[in-house]
Amino acid sequence: MTMIPRLLHVALVVVLVIFGGFPVYWMASTALSTNAELYNTGQSAGLQLQNLPSLLSELSKVPLLRWLTNTSIVALGTTVLSLTLGALAGYALSRFRFRGKGIIGFLLFMTQVVPEALILVPLYAMFISLGLLNSLWGLVLANVGFSLPVAAFIIKGAIDAVPYEIEEAAAVDNCPRFGVLTMVILPIIAPSLAAAAIIAFFAGWNEYLFAATFLMDNTMWPASVGLASFIGQYETPLSAVMGAALIFSLPAVVFFLIIQRKIVAGITSGAVKG
Amino acid sequence: MTDISTGAARSLPQRARKSRFSAKAVLPYIFILPPVMYLAVFMFWPLARQIYLSFTKTRLINPSRSQFIGLDNYDRLLASPDFYSALHITVVYSVMAVVLGVALGTIAALALNRPFPGRTIVRAVLLFGWAVPNVAASLVWLWIFNERSGVLNRIVTGLGLDSVPWLTTTHMALPSVLLVTVWQVAPFVMLVMLAALQSVPEEVREAARIDNADKLNIFRAVTLPHVMPTLQLVSLLVAVWSIRRFDIIYLLTGGGPIGSTSTLIVKLRQTAFENHDLGLASAYGVIGLILALSVATIHALFNRHRAKRSMQ
Amino acid sequence: MPQITLGNIRKSFGSSTVIPDFSAQIEDGEFLVLLGPSGCGKSTLLRMIAGLSDISGGDLRFDGTAVNEWTPSQRGVAFVFQSYALYPHMTVRENIAFPLIMDAFQKWYHIPVVNSVMRWKLMRRPDIAERTDHIARQLELTPMMDRRPANLSGGQRQRVALARSLVRDPSLYLLDEPLSNLDAKLRTQMRSEISALHKRVKKTFIYVTHDQVEAMTMATKIIVMNKGEIQQIGTPDEIYANPANTFVARFVGAPPMNLLNVRQHGTVLSLDGGAEWTHPGILPTKQASLGIRPENLNLRPEGEGLIPIEVSLVERLGAETLLGCRMVSKAASETLLGEDLIFVRVQGNPQIEASARFGLSYAADDVRWYDQTSGQAVTVCDNSPLSRCA
Repeated sequence: MTMIPRLLHVALVVVLVIFGGFPVYWMASTALSTNAELYNTGQSAGLQLQNLPSLLSELSKVPLLRWLTNTSIVALGTTVLSLTLGALAGYALSRFRFRGKGIIGFLLFMTQVVPEALILVPLYAMFISLGLLNSLWGLVLANVGFSLPVAAFIIKGAIDAVPYEIEEAAAVDNCPRFGVLTMVILPIIAPSLAAAAIIAFFAGWNEYLFAATFLMDNTMWPASVGLASFIGQYETPLSAVMGAALIFSLPAVVFFLIIQRKIVAGITSGAVKG
Repeated sequence: MTDISTGAARSLPQRARKSRFSAKAVLPYIFILPPVMYLAVFMFWPLARQIYLSFTKTRLINPSRSQFIGLDNYDRLLASPDFYSALHITVVYSVMAVVLGVALGTIAALALNRPFPGRTIVRAVLLFGWAVPNVAASLVWLWIFNERSGVLNRIVTGLGLDSVPWLTTTHMALPSVLLVTVWQVAPFVMLVMLAALQSVPEEVREAARIDNADKLNIFRAVTLPHVMPTLQLVSLLVAVWSIRRFDIIYLLTGGGPIGSTSTLIVKLRQTAFENHDLGLASAYGVIGLILALSVATIHALFNRHRAKRSMQ
Repeated sequence: MPQITLGNIRKSFGSSTVIPDFSAQIEDGEFLVLLGPSGCGKSTLLRMIAGLSDISGGDLRFDGTAVNEWTPSQRGVAFVFQSYALYPHMTVRENIAFPLIMDAFQKWYHIPVVNSVMRWKLMRRPDIAERTDHIARQLELTPMMDRRPANLSGGQRQRVALARSLVRDPSLYLLDEPLSNLDAKLRTQMRSEISALHKRVKKTFIYVTHDQVEAMTMATKIIVMNKGEIQQIGTPDEIYANPANTFVARFVGAPPMNLLNVRQHGTVLSLDGGAEWTHPGILPTKQASLGIRPENLNLRPEGEGLIPIEVSLVERLGAETLLGCRMVSKAASETLLGEDLIFVRVQGNPQIEASARFGLSYAADDVRWYDQTSGQAVTVCDNSPLSRCA
């Protein structure tokens, strides 16, 4: 706003950048510090890139690769299942009128109000009987409940913007009913689909509560649980912890920055209409 | 059926005779049923179970042996000071998260709504708090808050003050958790508000300028009404997220010290997995859900009111 | 090759009926234009023929077989949409080949990766590739085969839409106001291209438009519609020369047919305000409106002719000039009679200025009569043995 005098504006931006960026900068700075600095002499404010080799050797002691593999499996599973089911729901909500549509839309919205902790225990009990406890697939199934509705809303919003005549053209062109969705509609809304995929992927990537509860075996741990296990323990050097946290954060930051605008559109349309 | 195909239909499959009306009525359900079934099994059935559990006496050790006890858990809840403390903390935490997060996010959006060199980079940096995963955020904030060697206390002692036990005293823990919450929430508010600000129609603003309105008046008469619905929506989202937030509070303080950061949801997990009392834990959760739902309902009523007013 | 029969077709959306009862027969190879104002139900009718909208009542028959329940693809029709409805994510080549690929589509191609592979392979199958290229050449799309619709001009998109409907060689072409998104010049060009196409493929075309010029220039048969009902069926010439009612008379022709609410006293006709003249022919047996095309009115010097007029509007179009005229009563010269202008079409540019005065004359043969209450055409019968009247 031009009503803020120029200097004040600059000062405001600087303060915001420091508040917003400092923790991430500090993660990097800590990762590149030596233990002596961290615990005794005091951490330097700069990025000591010369410490990168020692950071890498310390990181090799952390089973980061295995954790990230587990995390990727969970995140990918969550993405594929959320998008498949979300595309079906989004298409039906956008294109058809049917009994119960209003209720289904409301229930989808409801899931965003339900705290994860609230369904934790019954899911736990269910997974015991299904043999899904201590399994990455169980985790996927739990995560999808929350990311499916988000994907459905984003996809519905995108399909709403596709002219119906294109579907009619496909019908005239002898395209099978299901093919209209997979060969015509979904490719047209590919950008929104990508945004929904990224949201679902990082919902799975970041998820902590279910993973911490359902996975007993630490070879199954995804990175979120593995990293959280560093809290309150002293064996792992702090620089390695911060290095691992940074590596864990990096993909999320990059992809969220790429799709930021899509997320806004998805959330405002989805939640307003929900 | 022999010479029909000499007509317009190039090749007529046998199923052409099947009535299209019934197929048409079924079609939406073929699409909507899989996702709905999925949610029924993995979302709403557990939710119903949990609500049911709140009316039972159930121990985590043997969850299948539960005993229906009516409203006893809620009686216990209403009689326990822990509950009032958790409710109070939840409300304070959520209200403060909305007020501070939305205020800071909106200010940031206003600051970024005019071009300046490096705006794209600034915008990206300001979004870090929103994009960094909870667990990683907790780790770095724990280190920043560290009482002995954390950077905050090094600044505080450098200024000649006593070091502050950020997360370990009852009166500082909640504000510290709120600081991290605002760091995570404000970027999201900024993102949404920025989009709203940029969609303010330029012609209306220009019309106001031609009508000789000054900048403050333009903001009040044109910009603010335009972004108001978005502001309300984003406040609702932040409120609901704050009521359901678990990760960041649990990882930063575990609900402590002495329950000073135990919101209803943190209390839910504690009661279930530390006290093994599933019935009471469920009651905590149900209250949390009711709280979140009432916020959403109030928002919906507001929306309807506004829609009605704009119709008139 | 189908003969299409529409038997008592009805269409309603909820409680509102768009088309109450529509019956017509469309012969093979015809270029039928459904002409009417917007909202008259012509597009709805076309969509029902295509199978894109349900038929609420009545029978749609292709060569006698009821096809009400058939899907669009079973009916084997081509449909060109007003918005073209091209697939924005496909290239021109993929757009044109899409119907052919769908014809060769097997159920198991739905499997995600298989789908892409098989569609890629089908695109390159010799017969499909050959057919696609052939159609593209015909419509001069060859240089832009690898572009996407977003990078094409309006006329090019229109041709891609035509190519996509042509490629499967359907026996019935349905076109829903295909030219309304084009500018005037391109519209004229596409009009002749579509006409040429119809002559070349010799298939049935059903073409929906609200533009009477398109109808007159392309149709072999026109159905004029209003409020879901047929006003007239006929060739362009018939419809122009003998409008069946005042709606058609006003809708077809620019400017429309002049309709004068005359009163009869013996062989004398009069208009409100005093204009009176003797009709040069036989009059209908009861009171009727007089209808006459602008080109059938002749200018005479002031004082001659049947009806005295004053020119109040001149539109010089180059090859012809349109005069909007008001009647001058015999008594008071300044009195303007009636609200509607009488339009007169004269050849070339005779340099007539507004407020010039003339007399109008006409030949009795060029006059059409319409019932003043029902608006239906009234036939005038003389007593000659060669009369067309019964």
